[in-house]
Amino acid sequence: MKSQPIKNSLGIFPKSWSEEHAGRIPGNIPIWVGILSELTEFGIFFAAYFIAKFYYPDTFAQGPQSLHTSLGVTNTIVLLSSSYFMAKAMSFIRVNNKIKCERYLWLALSCGVLYLIIKTWEFHWNTLQGFSANTNEFFTVYYYMTFNHFIHVGWASCAILWVIFRLRRGAYSSTEHSGLEALAVYWHMIDLMWILIFPLLYVLR
Amino acid sequence: MKHSIKLEHYLAALIVITLLNTFLGEKFSSTTLVSILIAITVTYKGFIVIDHFMELKGANKNLRFLMRLYFIIFPSLIIVSAFY
Repeated sequence: MKSQPIKNSLGIFPKSWSEEHAGRIPGNIPIWVGILSELTEFGIFFAAYFIAKFYYPDTFAQGPQSLHTSLGVTNTIVLLSSSYFMAKAMSFIRVNNKIKCERYLWLALSCGVLYLIIKTWEFHWNTLQGFSANTNEFFTVYYYMTFNHFIHVGWASCAILWVIFRLRRGAYSSTEHSGLEALAVYWHMIDLMWILIFPLLYVLR
Repeated sequence: MKHSIKLEHYLAALIVITLLNTFLGEKFSSTTLVSILIAITVTYKGFIVIDHFMELKGANKNLRFLMRLYFIIFPSLIIVSAFY
């Protein structure tokens, strides 16, 4: 009984933040500390984008026209699909269908790997066009944001592999799957960041 | 099963909105109206992922509030930046 409040609030949050008062926390508290930290990090990137755009409006108006828009659109669809596959994997572990859960995790991982391949190709294509982080302020922000996001997709893809390994070892079931759910919410957070990055760098002139 | 069908509808909506945004950006120079439209759709996409893929709808209300707030603040800055 005594450990219950600590489990639900880590003992550092107000009582109103506990699961009893505010509702269930998907995954676990540590992953949400991580997610909120990542959101802060990306928030700083977005703030840097808007400040740079304020000082260099012409550079930021021309920048997106230099990028390979089709690759950006494809990667957006790939990441959205990966989020869908992850949500499906969660729905199947809840009914204890581990085979289908694993199948959807592999699909989500495939999307993550495909994203990394497309992004690598895009970086290569930029280099062939003569663009680098030093080209102008737009490309500095572009590489700053996209390479950081690339790293996040990379390590989260490795985490999917780990979760598949744990699933096969019988670590998750319909009653206990908080580790899998923690990865799922983290993966969705990465997708959410791309939802913001895509229009800023590829669409808005 | 009904939930699964819903997820597919949301995925289709997200892809259509992405393509629409790209079309707007490619075919029209970034007018204020286009920027406002894109900002609204970005917020909508964020809300769909937060509520239905991340499953925060009906979960912890504080986390949902923080996540949704994020997708109000930054799309709002898109609108502000249209007036630069």
